[in-house]
Amino acid sequence: MATNGSGTSHGIARTSRARTEEQRHQELEKIRKYRELEDQVRSQAAQKEFGPELFQLTSKLLRLNPEYYTVWNIRRRSLISGLLSRRSDGSSPLTESPISSQTATTQASSAVSSSSSSDATPPSHESQTTGKSGTIAEDSRNVDGEHEHASNKQQDSDATKAAAEKQDLDVLKSELAFTIPLLLESPKCYWIWSYRLWVLEQAIQRLQVPVARRIWQEELGLATKMLTKDRRNFHAWGYRRHVVATLESASLGGESMVEAEFDYTTHKINQDLSNFSAWHNRSKLIPRLLDERGADDMAREALLNQELGLVREGLNVGPDDQSLWYYHQWLMLNLVDHVGKPTIVPHFTLENRVTYFMREIREIKDLLEDYKDVQLIYESLVDYTLSLCQLEERQPNADEKGELVRWLDKLRKLDPMRSGRWTDLERDIGLKKLRQKQTQ
Amino acid sequence: MATSFENLPEELQLATSAHVKYIQSLDTRKDEYDYWLTEHLRLNGLYWGLTALHLLGHPEALPRAETIDFVLSCQHPNGGFGAAPGHDAHMLSTVSAVQILAMINAFDELETRGTGKAKVGKFIADLQNRQTGTFAGDEWGEEDTRFLYGAFNALSLLGLLHLVDVDKAVDHIVACANFDGGYGVSPGAESHSGQILTCVAALTIAGRQDLIDTDRLGRWLSERQVASGGLNGRPEKKEDVCYSWWVLGSLEMIGKAHWIDRDKLVAFILRSQDPENGGISDRPGDMVDVWHTCFGLAGLSLLEYPGLQPVDPVYCMPKTTVQRVLGQSWKKTPLSSSAGSI
Ligand SMILES: [Zn+2]
Repeated sequence: MATNGSGTSHGIARTSRARTEEQRHQELEKIRKYRELEDQVRSQAAQKEFGPELFQLTSKLLRLNPEYYTVWNIRRRSLISGLLSRRSDGSSPLTESPISSQTATTQASSAVSSSSSSDATPPSHESQTTGKSGTIAEDSRNVDGEHEHASNKQQDSDATKAAAEKQDLDVLKSELAFTIPLLLESPKCYWIWSYRLWVLEQAIQRLQVPVARRIWQEELGLATKMLTKDRRNFHAWGYRRHVVATLESASLGGESMVEAEFDYTTHKINQDLSNFSAWHNRSKLIPRLLDERGADDMAREALLNQELGLVREGLNVGPDDQSLWYYHQWLMLNLVDHVGKPTIVPHFTLENRVTYFMREIREIKDLLEDYKDVQLIYESLVDYTLSLCQLEERQPNADEKGELVRWLDKLRKLDPMRSGRWTDLERDIGLKKLRQKQTQ
Repeated sequence: MATSFENLPEELQLATSAHVKYIQSLDTRKDEYDYWLTEHLRLNGLYWGLTALHLLGHPEALPRAETIDFVLSCQHPNGGFGAAPGHDAHMLSTVSAVQILAMINAFDELETRGTGKAKVGKFIADLQNRQTGTFAGDEWGEEDTRFLYGAFNALSLLGLLHLVDVDKAVDHIVACANFDGGYGVSPGAESHSGQILTCVAALTIAGRQDLIDTDRLGRWLSERQVASGGLNGRPEKKEDVCYSWWVLGSLEMIGKAHWIDRDKLVAFILRSQDPENGGISDRPGDMVDVWHTCFGLAGLSLLEYPGLQPVDPVYCMPKTTVQRVLGQSWKKTPLSSSAGSI
């Protein structure tokens, strides 16, 4: 059903709310089942029975309602208090500092000799088959005591440690698998994305670096997949940046991925010039890319030219595409507003900068030959002419003033919705007087 | 300009009484599955509905005593509020609780029957990341400029903004700024109208509007208006009624609300209402919900649609509420109101 009066909905057609008695009956039955499940989850959680049964119930409930953030929290608590073999206690980064897994396991087993640390919480490792419900973790049991009477403690300790990590790996992988279908169905649900990141953080805290790294690497594949399904999903873009930053970080023994990510934006842009999210990411990567390449002045200028060329190609066929113009603005801002900011061409002299502005203005004017009524062209001409004046610390000269008046007139005609803006602009650049003179 | 709306054809008149009835009906839909699926939004929904009613001039349409009872029933001993009884405490529902109590003038009840303001303040303040200045939504650590704004909104209403490191938070917002003048969820993220409102409003609460590139931001925001008159949230995306709030509220705060076509936006919002059954949807012809009803009406209020109570663009509550709680509410700067004089 499409009604969503109590929450938020997007893009669902307005339909009649009338239901037949039969439909109403079915809906009431659905509600009864849902609330029964919800009651079970909440009462077990209230009694702190964070065992496998509760865990399994959260799977059921979250499949029905992935927005239920409290249930995601209950699931986290279930994992921490049992299914994940070693307590990290670092699960709540705000209230506790992450404790290394070594220390954490020792806490749990102070009675045992120092090198043998995890006897008190031996993991289950006979449960790696996937259950009916589709996840491994649901079938895991914390089989306390099964290993207690092992004859060789030292040997057992090593084995246990390895087994513990194996179980953590399985549980975490299973959690990642659990969230995939939910994400595909609700790609804009904040809670799923943040739960998934929490699981990934657990991997860093609990697993050996190469193992955790492999898991995070696979996440990049998910980000790519999600961005193939929806090229602008800002959750997925943010997720991608986070995954990349983590893969690059020391905690995963990483190194820079700036070249690969830059290539990824090229790929996304080639598929679709209007993908501003990709252009945005590109603008964030370029200053780093140049630094890490150790680019000299020539290489920097070459990249600026390459980027300007790329946008121009797009503008030649689609001059009404806002995404292209925003990126063009970013490139040009590198020439004006560069002090104290990462910039493409820090070495440029004022003369260089002016030359580039004049060239771009000329190129944009050329666009007018083919496209006489595209508002964004006039907007850019006004913008860049004023930037040029700002750069040279002067007022517009007579020719420029004449052009500005003409372009603003055109903007008022083509874009009356923003006439307040054109009026303010006219006032700010002192064209009002000039216009009066002209009309006299 | 207010007179021009009276000339609108009948189907573009605001269906006030239908909207009031619609909001009143929201808590009676317990025989609908969706009512239960959206329990995690109950306190937010109450805030959206109550704000809409206040703007419509019918603040009494939800019973005050029951509202207070429900809000307090969501509170946890640590001062935070969950979305409904039995739901974990979270920044988003805590902010809604504070806003609701502010609107119905019930902070006293928080002292006498709840945990008291101080604990609420501490719950929020503890969610600040003292290294970066930003805020998490709850103990599990998801961070977002939405939570930072929520914290500033609620703490300032409670008179407890001093509990957090305002300067650090301001630094964080600055780190979220992009070349287009907008702001994202976190440093490096693409500009997004929802996030822009949260950042601009937080800077306004902190008294640091000087850090905003108002010309560039105003430009970008004004370019969110598309041919239908509606506003989108990012370049090359579809228009949506809720951006009438996120975009227009931001424009209002930086004194550039006159950079878009008011009449066209009014018409777009009114075309999206369900005149018979009440409520407003994201676009004409779609299913209504309380979120779009609230933000559609808040947009209309900013557009000075006749008969609506004036809304405060920083807090998204009636100006009279903000005035009562803070002793002052947001005012247009002389600069912005002079725009029509040329
Ligand atoms: Zn919306």
